[in-house]
Amino acid sequence: MTDFSLILANLFSRKLRAILMLVAIFFAFLIFGVLAGVQNGFNNIGGSAGENRLVTINKINFTQPMPISYIERIRAVEGVARASYANWFGGYYQEGRNQIVTFAIDPEFYMDIYATDYKLSADQRAAFLADRSGLLVGQKLAERWGWKLGDRIPLSSNIYTNKNTGKQTWDFTIVGILEPAQENADTSVAFFHHAYFNESVTFGRDTAGWIVIETADKALNTDVSKRIDAMFANSPAETATDTEKAFNQAFVGQLGNITLIVTLVVGAAFATILMIVGNTMAMAVRERTKEIGVMKTLGFPSGRIFKMVLGESLLLAMLGGLPALGVSALLLEMMRKSVGFPGLALTLDFTALGIAIMLALGLLTGIIPAWNALRLNIVTALGRQ
Amino acid sequence: MRILNQIIAVCTINLKSLPQRFWLSLSTVVAVAMVVTVLLSFLALAAGFKRTLDGTGSESIAIMLRDGSQQEVNSVVALDQVRLIGEAPGIVRKQDGNPLVSGELYVIVDGVRRSTGLKANLPLRGIGKDGAALRDGLTITQGRMFEPGSNEIVVGEGLIREFAGFDLGSEVRLGTGTWKVVGVFSMNGAVFESELWGDVAVVQSLFRRGSSFQTVRVRLETPEAIDLLRDYVAGEPRLKLEVFSEKGYFAGQSSNTVKLIQNAGWPLAIAMALGALAGALNTMYSSVASRSREIATLRCLGFGGFPSFVATLLESLVLAGIGGLIGSLGIFLFFDGFSTSTLGQGFTQIVFTVSLTPALVKQGIVLALIVGLIGGFFPALRAARLPIVSAYAQG
Repeated sequence: MTDFSLILANLFSRKLRAILMLVAIFFAFLIFGVLAGVQNGFNNIGGSAGENRLVTINKINFTQPMPISYIERIRAVEGVARASYANWFGGYYQEGRNQIVTFAIDPEFYMDIYATDYKLSADQRAAFLADRSGLLVGQKLAERWGWKLGDRIPLSSNIYTNKNTGKQTWDFTIVGILEPAQENADTSVAFFHHAYFNESVTFGRDTAGWIVIETADKALNTDVSKRIDAMFANSPAETATDTEKAFNQAFVGQLGNITLIVTLVVGAAFATILMIVGNTMAMAVRERTKEIGVMKTLGFPSGRIFKMVLGESLLLAMLGGLPALGVSALLLEMMRKSVGFPGLALTLDFTALGIAIMLALGLLTGIIPAWNALRLNIVTALGRQ
Repeated sequence: MRILNQIIAVCTINLKSLPQRFWLSLSTVVAVAMVVTVLLSFLALAAGFKRTLDGTGSESIAIMLRDGSQQEVNSVVALDQVRLIGEAPGIVRKQDGNPLVSGELYVIVDGVRRSTGLKANLPLRGIGKDGAALRDGLTITQGRMFEPGSNEIVVGEGLIREFAGFDLGSEVRLGTGTWKVVGVFSMNGAVFESELWGDVAVVQSLFRRGSSFQTVRVRLETPEAIDLLRDYVAGEPRLKLEVFSEKGYFAGQSSNTVKLIQNAGWPLAIAMALGALAGALNTMYSSVASRSREIATLRCLGFGGFPSFVATLLESLVLAGIGGLIGSLGIFLFFDGFSTSTLGQGFTQIVFTVSLTPALVKQGIVLALIVGLIGGFFPALRAARLPIVSAYAQG
């Protein structure tokens, strides 16, 4: 009989209790895994952002526009490789509740800058550039509404009015379907020509919502931001330039502190489980006092018994925790597919942290019982009722 | 009657012996308390947010937005449309016969959160000279109202609580202008307390909005007069506006956020409750095991199995109930009334206070008792069926 099979036999000497412990640990780590994945999703909202991508917004607030003429001046700034602009269209399809993330973009450069995110074939790119009312839709969006290349669809805006029709609706032809170029890219978006937008809106003409910049090198990011903001200082529309990642994360930050909630909840769940498991382990070892006494009489060294008791609690933590991490990874996978929230995944970092917590849990709950078992005197052990 | 006496006797013995199982019992209490704390913290957040939005607005104020814009921030209303609204039937007029109407502008500016130092979107509202008269429950708690035509602002109490730099007397830079904070207002905890107000003409000029507005606000003669106003707007082709009662407008806005918070809270609490249930079952099985001789003795003395069943179940319910109460009390003491803010549908921060209602406490206690009930039932069954001989043979 190896030590391992002894540990296993000890652990399952009371099957029901062992199973209950495992269930408790399983749920603790399931919560941990899922919340860690969600946290990772939020961290990753800025994650697909290129490292040398900057965003310039109006300094007042990102909902305030700036003159479109800024683009040419920004393109001339030293260190800027490419720059493009976009406007938030406030789009929806047929009904107000079918919101569609739609941007009016400068068609030439925007898709080039975002080539790391979206794949667009050369002929679809050419078709988009050639057709003013052309619309690029992301794969997920096309699947959701059953749209195909060549379809003519109306998109409405909850902000702008089309001066040609007096309505809030614009007609588009789908000329390209965007495939994700990387895993975290969100393809539930649509893009169309800024020129088409600009010529038909009743207000907000010749403005850009924000300008996106690709720097020649990420080391230049800070210098380029400073140069741009200095250029427009004391103008009617001052600017604030930051990396795209920082911009996206600041946006998410507006929802409130998610990290704090996750930490508190995991902490609460974890403290609870630790207590339950710790208590039960202590009890289980106490119940086996006589057995341990017998083992010691038979010549088992104290150190080996110490290791076996500690091994038992470690095994318990692992048996409960590892499957939970696996299940949470599967759950996250399902969530990612159904809600289309990229970045929902159990990363290596969080998996490692989870396993570290399991080890800590096993050690913390096992150490006192193991220490007691180590110091146990044979006479007392055998004498105890 | 005899069985009742037996039950009372066994329960008393059982509860009195609880201190002997102190640590194990405590673990159940704490586990259940944690579950209830997590559940109630989510539910109280949702309830606080809902209370703020539902508590905003009166039935006798009508607000109008451009048709299809859904949110104030998306809407555009022209000056001549505001004038046309002034001629509408069913609205309250001033002593001099002029309409009581306020065309308002809603622009988003940056603020800095006191707690984290991070930027957040705040609404700066330009209101007309009748704007204040069109807001029920408005009181200036410090300083005074802004002077029309000046770049002075008044600040909502909620906003001051959560965001830095808007204290009375301070100067703030919003957009291209510098504004002086001359007053603080309260409005019974309504959404407006999360706003900055200035004179609409000044906001129009400093944010280069020409003579355009985003909403029009009027007071209705009676809440029913809203239909007169709707008919008038529908019959006037120059008015492509949607008419809401103020109450209806805000009440519709809480549902998404509230659903989101609740949808996060319940599954978490249930997953934790399953963990706690494992703990409770454990505690109760151990309790039965440690009392097995006692139970067997009672059976020898002629007690039935049922009293043991009830006593075990009761012990479990008591432990879970105490846990539920501790959890609720913890939320009440440390979280209730806590002020925080999140992004509302208008794309700006809405400040609200966490509110723990009796209905929520009930939900928390019910969850705790369910854990106690299931956690006690199976061990109780074992206690009732305990074979006397083997109980003595053990240990």
